[in-house]
Amino acid sequence: MSINENFAHYSNLFIALALVAYAAAFFGYCAEWAFGSRSRIGAKASSVGQQSAAVPAQRAAEQATASVGASGVAVLTRTADEAEEPTVAGGSLRAEAVGRFAVMATVIGFALHFAGVLFRGLSAHRVPWANMYEFSCAAALAMAFAYLVLLATGRKARWLGLPVSFIVLVTLGLAYTVLYTDAEELVPALHSYWLYIHVTAAVLSTGAFGVATVATILYLLKAAAEEGKLPWLSGPLQRVPSSGTLDRTAYRVIAFIFPLWTFAVIAGAIWAEKAWGRYWGWDPKETWSFIVWVIYAAYLHARATHGWKGRAAAWIALAAFTCVMFNYFGVNTLLTGKHSYAGL
Amino acid sequence: MDQGENVTQQADDLAEPDAAAGSQAPAGADGAAELDVTASDVTVPNIAAPDVTAEAVADEAGFEDMHDAGRMSTAPRADSFVAVPRLGATELLRWMWRQLTSMRIALTLLFLLSVAAIPGSLLPQREIDPNKVLQFFSAHPGWAPFLDRLQLFDVFESVWFGAIYSLLFVSLIGCILPRSAAHYRAMRGAPPAAPRNLKRLPVHASFRTTAPADEALAAAAKRLKGRRFRSTTGSDAAGNWVSAEKGYLRETGNLLFHLALIGILVAVAIGHFFGFKGARLVTEGTGFCDTVAGYDTLTMGQAVSAADLPPFCIKLNKFSATYQDSGDQFGQPRSFDAYVVYRATPSSPAQNVDVRVNSPITVNGTNVFLEGHGYAPVVTVRDGTGRVVYDGPVTFLGLNANFVSNGAIKVPDAKPRGLGFQGWLLPTAVQLPGSMPTSMFPAAQNPELILAAYAGDLGMDGSGSQSVYTLDVSKMTQLDVKSKTNPAAGNALELAVGQSAALPNGLGSITFDGVKQWAQFNIAYDPGQPIALGSAVAAVLGLLGSLGIRRRRIWVRVTEQTDGTRLIEVAGLARTEGATPTAEVTETAEALAGRLTVVSEDVVSEDAVPEGAASDEAKSDEAAPDDTSTVGDAPSAELPRQQRTSTPRTGASA
Ligand code: HEM
Repeated sequence: MSINENFAHYSNLFIALALVAYAAAFFGYCAEWAFGSRSRIGAKASSVGQQSAAVPAQRAAEQATASVGASGVAVLTRTADEAEEPTVAGGSLRAEAVGRFAVMATVIGFALHFAGVLFRGLSAHRVPWANMYEFSCAAALAMAFAYLVLLATGRKARWLGLPVSFIVLVTLGLAYTVLYTDAEELVPALHSYWLYIHVTAAVLSTGAFGVATVATILYLLKAAAEEGKLPWLSGPLQRVPSSGTLDRTAYRVIAFIFPLWTFAVIAGAIWAEKAWGRYWGWDPKETWSFIVWVIYAAYLHARATHGWKGRAAAWIALAAFTCVMFNYFGVNTLLTGKHSYAGL
Repeated sequence: MDQGENVTQQADDLAEPDAAAGSQAPAGADGAAELDVTASDVTVPNIAAPDVTAEAVADEAGFEDMHDAGRMSTAPRADSFVAVPRLGATELLRWMWRQLTSMRIALTLLFLLSVAAIPGSLLPQREIDPNKVLQFFSAHPGWAPFLDRLQLFDVFESVWFGAIYSLLFVSLIGCILPRSAAHYRAMRGAPPAAPRNLKRLPVHASFRTTAPADEALAAAAKRLKGRRFRSTTGSDAAGNWVSAEKGYLRETGNLLFHLALIGILVAVAIGHFFGFKGARLVTEGTGFCDTVAGYDTLTMGQAVSAADLPPFCIKLNKFSATYQDSGDQFGQPRSFDAYVVYRATPSSPAQNVDVRVNSPITVNGTNVFLEGHGYAPVVTVRDGTGRVVYDGPVTFLGLNANFVSNGAIKVPDAKPRGLGFQGWLLPTAVQLPGSMPTSMFPAAQNPELILAAYAGDLGMDGSGSQSVYTLDVSKMTQLDVKSKTNPAAGNALELAVGQSAALPNGLGSITFDGVKQWAQFNIAYDPGQPIALGSAVAAVLGLLGSLGIRRRRIWVRVTEQTDGTRLIEVAGLARTEGATPTAEVTETAEALAGRLTVVSEDVVSEDAVPEGAASDEAKSDEAAPDDTSTVGDAPSAELPRQQRTSTPRTGASA
């Protein structure tokens, strides 16, 4: 089937506009950080941050929240109350406003980005992720999506906005400038509906792992700050959630997406069986997907093994994402294997 | 303070009581499993973040102990990893087994496995492409042999890789079987008795009622059963209680996942023993039969014999490839079709099929895949006597995207001297002034042969097998065939289709008659596949359970009060991170309160504190709803609002 040049053109246009919107979002988030005051909550949380190190666990345990429901039931919780987490804007209304603007810009950027990817697919009558330019656009889309999902499900996730918009901006920009290739038909190796299943799962996982990685890095920084390290960063870090929340966010995203990644690898194996006659052949792509899978599994184990929780686990998660990146850029560009049809 | 370390430290705090208790435990894991209740009860006081309790408990009792179920955990776990007890052989073995099946080792082995796989992707592997390995040897004669001794060209068959995953799976089995047994018992036994002091648990709801104890208990049990909790009732010095637990499927899923991994390993092993895979390169107009002799390469599992190969025959009528001829993906392949005729058995009727990259043909269980393609120039070689000594296609190997292909034409029995040609086929030849001719497009639009000619002994009679693509020129002399018209081509013949060239000193001549294509077929049979697929599906389902389901316990206690009323307490504990059943507990309490007559009382529980401090806990749990089911979390988000209305905001000024 021939390429629909108009759609291909729209696609490029939408991607370009998305870049603009994301850039606006990025600067919005920057402004939010800049204007955001060390608010009441922010200040308190941070003081708590230092304090709780000092407070003997004994006393800490006595602390709890009591309340009476209408029914006369007295409730006593020791569980967290997200409402008490610091926010990027802190108390500052100006920051709050730009923050909201930035989120709007992100949503608009996402919509344009989505349209761009969609029209790419329509123009070539196929899934819009069959070469590195398209993978990158799609992975960035998945990452923006993961972030917006966190926001939409009522999480206070705006602290993710700055890093996420930055990464999306860079990825998309790189795709648009360096990796760009015209919309074309597929190479024979990709003529299979498994392209839809396998690569879609892989792209979604990659985006989500990206978000988890942002949370992990912030966790490591925040954890250090809570121990009074990194004084030069303590200011901004006071406005991201406590290390506990960051750690948990990372864990939840990974735990949520790991089964999908597992599925992506399995779908790849099924496809490989159909295409090459063996479901596993240690082709570089297969090998690195395996490595990524095993390291994330190790992360989940670490999360369940005391002495490995927290920092150790976080470093494992970072190692895993490094491999995700290598599996993408490294394997596609440096190593030759059956998967080297990424059409750079 | 770093939550992670916080957790760790708490977990260590736990080790003592837990282990101590463990010593009195009935048989191993089960005991341990139940223990965590006591453990949590004992240790909540010195834990800043109660949900951590659940986790820490889960760690200690839930995982570590379970891995070595059957041991009486008398030694504090902290040591057990490092210190080898000076004991008899059996103890030593038990100790080693315990180490091997511990989470730490599992973790370490998983790491080793991932690291060990890396060289397999960076260095050429014999399994995947033996030619690349040979090229590597010639490129790095220095250290290639050394790497080879380390089995770095056969990483995935290597002793060390095998050792790692064997250990891992031994560890896996050693971890999973006891866990399964423990889980089975847990599923059949009743949920553990209620802790004495429910106020110590992460979430606690209470009210006073005038309703009789048994009515309250019945209502509680009914409610929890209705919520599909497994529940039991009992009584102790403090009063009567209902104990309920939910989310057993999490552990079931986790076990299923791990067992499925074993299934996959088994499937791979079966494939190795009972499967075979081979490759055969077929030029247009020729064919082959599925016999050991028929293959270029063939690897058969130990349990497979030549007789087991299904007796089909395949002939390649035509191979057609199309390529992108415009735009910035110029030259990218767009379609490959191998038009073949095959007979499932020599006697059965011939069938025409079009084999494509993603659509193999299946001949009774054995699959035939289109793996690769290339060009075979058709040449006629006459020797000095004028006799035709060679006439037919010669397979050349494509070297790059535009199929600059290279190969050799060998005519050992030409007279007076053996003849050999070595060189390139250019499917779409172009020659920029002053440079070597090359190919600018993969399709054969303007094919050209560039051949260096040699005469002498090709060294083929000897035993030493040589590659069909290269000429052994050690005992041959190169002929001067330099072209007057095009010196740039070097000392080589340059032939377009239809052209011939005479060799010097009347040694003979060569004619380039045309170009045929060849296709490479992979033939594979793997009886392990269905098992592998089944296990893979089970693994994903298991994962969804293991990561998606929240396991938690809820207790209801009824205690007689001095004033004749009864205190109804509902408390919950998460057995998995961040799953504190805050909503379920409060809802249960409210539901009960709705059913039983409530005696209102003013709550300022001795534990209550200004919210500022409470926000300490903000670090510990439920900051974001559980990734799995938001059911329990929506209401827990309500909770804070209630609190704000009911407690002074002194925290504000903190
Ligand atoms: C060899 C010994 C092994 C042991 C002792 C072991 C033990 C465990 C345990 C106790 C859990 C529960 C942790 C939790 O629920 O958070 C777990 C979870 C998990 N295990 Fe293993 N495992 C082993 C091998 C493996 C292997 C080989 C893999 C595959 C790479 C694997 C993948 C996982 C995954 C993905 C989880 C996540 C489930 C979860 O976090 O709930 N495990 N493993």
